[in-house]
Amino acid sequence: MAAKGEMLYAWTNDPNLAAKAECGGAVTALWKYALENKIVDAVFAVKKGADLYDAVPTLIKDPKDLDDTAGSLHCGTLLMAKLIKKYLDGAKDQKIGVTVKGCDAMGIYELAKRNQINLDNLFLIGVNCGGSVSPVLARKMIAEKFEVDPDDVVKEEIDKGQFIIVTKDGTHKGISMDELEDAGYGRRPNCRRCEMKVPRQADIAAGNWGVIGDKAGKATFLEICSEKGADLVSKAVTAGKIGTEPANPKGIEIRGKIENSMLKLADKWRARDFEALGEGDARLQYILNETSRCIKCYACVENCPICYCETCSTKNPALVPPGRLPVSPMFHLIRLAHVADSCVNCGQCEENCPMEIPNARFMHANQVELQKIFGYRPGRDLRLPILALVEEKSERARLAATGSDQIYLNVFQPAQE
Amino acid sequence: MTDSLTYVPTTCPYCGVGCTLNLVVKDGKELVGVEANKRSPINEGKLCPKGMTCWEHVQKPERLTKPLIKKDGKFVEASWDEALDLIASKFKETYEKHGPKSLGFQVSCRTVNEDCYAMQKFARVAFKTNNVDNCARICHGPSVAGLSLSFGSGAATNPFHDVLNSDLIMLVGSNPVEAHPLAGRRIAQAKLKGIPIIVCDPRFSATARLADDWLRYNPSTHIALINSMMYWIIKEGKHDKEFIEKRTKGFEELKATVEKYADVEAITGVPPERVREIALKYAEAKNAVIIYCLGITELTTGTDNVRSLGNLSMLCGNIGREGVGVNPLRGQNNVQGACDMGAYPNVYSGYQAVAVEDNRKKMEKAWDLPEGSLPDWYGSSLTEQMWETGDTVKAMWIMALNPVVSYPNSNGIKAALEKLDFLVVQDIFPTETTPYADVILPGTCFAEKDGTFTAGERRINRVRKAVDGPGESVEDWRVFSMIAKKMGLKGFEWEKAEDVWDDMRAVTPSMFGCTYERLNRPESLHWPCPTMEHPGTPILHREKFSAADGLGTFFGLEYREPAEVADAEYPFTLMTGRVIFHYHTRTQTARAEVLHYEVPENYVQINTEDAKRLGIKENEHILVKSRRGESRPLARITDEVAPGVLYMAMHFPDGANALTNTALDPLSKMPELKHCAVSVAKITEA
Repeated sequence: MAAKGEMLYAWTNDPNLAAKAECGGAVTALWKYALENKIVDAVFAVKKGADLYDAVPTLIKDPKDLDDTAGSLHCGTLLMAKLIKKYLDGAKDQKIGVTVKGCDAMGIYELAKRNQINLDNLFLIGVNCGGSVSPVLARKMIAEKFEVDPDDVVKEEIDKGQFIIVTKDGTHKGISMDELEDAGYGRRPNCRRCEMKVPRQADIAAGNWGVIGDKAGKATFLEICSEKGADLVSKAVTAGKIGTEPANPKGIEIRGKIENSMLKLADKWRARDFEALGEGDARLQYILNETSRCIKCYACVENCPICYCETCSTKNPALVPPGRLPVSPMFHLIRLAHVADSCVNCGQCEENCPMEIPNARFMHANQVELQKIFGYRPGRDLRLPILALVEEKSERARLAATGSDQIYLNVFQPAQE
Repeated sequence: MTDSLTYVPTTCPYCGVGCTLNLVVKDGKELVGVEANKRSPINEGKLCPKGMTCWEHVQKPERLTKPLIKKDGKFVEASWDEALDLIASKFKETYEKHGPKSLGFQVSCRTVNEDCYAMQKFARVAFKTNNVDNCARICHGPSVAGLSLSFGSGAATNPFHDVLNSDLIMLVGSNPVEAHPLAGRRIAQAKLKGIPIIVCDPRFSATARLADDWLRYNPSTHIALINSMMYWIIKEGKHDKEFIEKRTKGFEELKATVEKYADVEAITGVPPERVREIALKYAEAKNAVIIYCLGITELTTGTDNVRSLGNLSMLCGNIGREGVGVNPLRGQNNVQGACDMGAYPNVYSGYQAVAVEDNRKKMEKAWDLPEGSLPDWYGSSLTEQMWETGDTVKAMWIMALNPVVSYPNSNGIKAALEKLDFLVVQDIFPTETTPYADVILPGTCFAEKDGTFTAGERRINRVRKAVDGPGESVEDWRVFSMIAKKMGLKGFEWEKAEDVWDDMRAVTPSMFGCTYERLNRPESLHWPCPTMEHPGTPILHREKFSAADGLGTFFGLEYREPAEVADAEYPFTLMTGRVIFHYHTRTQTARAEVLHYEVPENYVQINTEDAKRLGIKENEHILVKSRRGESRPLARITDEVAPGVLYMAMHFPDGANALTNTALDPLSKMPELKHCAVSVAKITEA
């Protein structure tokens, strides 16, 4: 029986699914079992939309529909966390299984701390993620660097430091990520800086790193991260839905090496990106200059997994005068003050920005500075953030009742490291 | 508990950029949000404040849900049968008594191509009238006219993203950061790439802030300014002699005209050396693109303003390849499409002129009409129809327009609507115009129907149904199918939007290759696309111009003053425009919480010196009067406008259009919405 901390190779016993899956199909098989046995009421995952560059979130209740979600889409730059809050009532009234990347898992944890998602109702299967590529840039990269018509590509993957495409005629072509990224292509900027390659705060961390020998390409690597995860794997094995064997020690070592090399690369990108921001006054000036293009679409607020207030300070007319362009610098300073301690570097504020403001870079840089001072690492566990949290409605009611403007009085709890 | 969650990829219902977005539908019926469509080559998932909130109005309780008939001055709910029978009998009666010119059909640019095509076909087939027009008349009519005369095709030459291939971007009378934000994004990207940006605008707009060089000139003096630029380019020998020789005609006429424009400081307020500087920057760039908007078109010189930009681009050989061109930013989501569909008084779909006998014959055959039945005359345009009520025009059908707020001279429009014997208004909400109707029909909005919007870059973007329309509302094209059936007309037996589209394709060579199947790809197609194999045409006029002789035409154009200029009684010049937070008459955007929060009320920008002189304080209501009406906006004191100049957005009732002038551009019949004379006064306590 599987136990927390255990590392396994796993594969589906369903031959149809195995044919469709990319590396063993264990994740899809586990979801199928969980759905069929009411361990979850629904699975929230990603499927292909218009083509393989288009990732679309989908809520699945019928196990048959799970096959659509098999395989990975590296152009899927979605953040599932905020979608669960916005459209699935924060999983307050049903049990939802979610396939998560590192940023999804971190966002879910931060929203859970803020009472916006009921973590008890979520079952998380994490997937290794070396980063994702924005769809339009991916197509441009394939046309310009690979010199291939992006519509001819039938499969893409990131493996061994390369972005690899497979075309209709079966041809493989790979170019090193370093080369692509130096030329301005490749992964999103936040992904390059990301330090959450294996989301172990999920119940199971799955992926293809470290699957070697005769199981290479035919099994999924599973690291069991919780009792809940162990239970599901055990039951699925007993029911004959998946097969498992202990992970090859050499494979475990390779997986660790891949993870470490990616973390080192992330360090390099952090240094590079943050250095470009300057320090102190220079950094502030840089932020003010860049954010002066803002057109107040609120996409950064709407997509941020830290933002949850019903009444946002950016909509306080005393702080940010409404209806004016250029927007008051307070808009972005408010965001920095309210979000930076808990920023999980998901990149949505930058990716969704219509005016090309590198919001995530500012926010992430400040998060790293705050982490140096306070030691708080967002999104990893359920420790509370530096800025204390309030339950908005009751806190507003308390302020109104007492006439006080001193929030946080009764809840301040500095994070402990 | 959420049972299902569906993303429906579709096209934003607001400006002419045509951003793709996902409508989020919960449990198959409830619209709950908008999410980024990152696969879109147009906007890459990014949206502006309006796009972000475009779902909010859709399921509001104020939607029109049933046909309404006015009985004894009150609107009473009616069945579709009753409403359509009444319309059919009234329109038939009017037609039989007063002929085809007694009817007016007004088509919206906010609704899908299929609706536009259906309405103009109905007008032409049922009543043999060319009195059918769309609201491009009051935004980019001069672009259609002017670019057709200069280049042989009245549409943008290059796609939005192509500015990133330029060596210089010149914007004239255009503020895309607010009016077309995702086209504004391309400008911001160009800036980050180091491409120089020149913004020519009387106002220090949000886009001017992005510019490397901002040129302020006196409002509505474009022809003088551009003629002078061309004077300097020719004088310094920087014109593209080879391009002029091989690909154009009329250069000598142009040269003779611009000779007279060496010094235009008295007209434009810009010293000659500054004009020369800007002119040479444009001429010396290897690839330079011109982007313009309503600052150019909404004037009595609109068509000539557009042709002046055509002149300038051809003078420097900046047509027909990547990174160059002349691009109007079309205002509404489907203003390109409404024109393309033939909702125009002188052309059928694809700009096939009604004056050409072969075109009429072809349409008569396709539409199963007797030979010689379709009219050859130039129909009455949008605002002309209004001014003809009580005289020639007796009955009118308005689809998805709000003339009381959006047309010039609101008081005049209200009086004109009163004079109609019979008015049908088809819309999604009650508006300032619906009270004047005899019958109100409930249409459906973008989220409730399939179809297409054609963006300003001639890209045909799919609109996909996400939810059902409220109550008994139907797709707007279906209304024409229903009434045609009642009237015993053939050729309206469409079952779905695609049938209407295919009906259009069959008679429109320039779009024949644009099947829904091909349009379903995120990249879609740019027309012209004449065959199934044709890849579409992102860039026009590559080898030769679209004109019959293949040549571009220079025109020698003289500067003319606007029809109404500031004088002792009305000493201020009023310019009009848009704000980023609203779309047109706010029927939709005022129902989005955050947009209403940002700009809940009309305001006018006034220069600091003027405000000081008149004792006007920030954010107080002031009285602005013109010869046609008055408005009481809030004052915003700013140096973004020059002394003597005011700026007001067009979105509010009793706002800008209470003041605007109705004088027309003789070539395009564009009213002078951008320029009129007004007075300003502090409101003293009553």
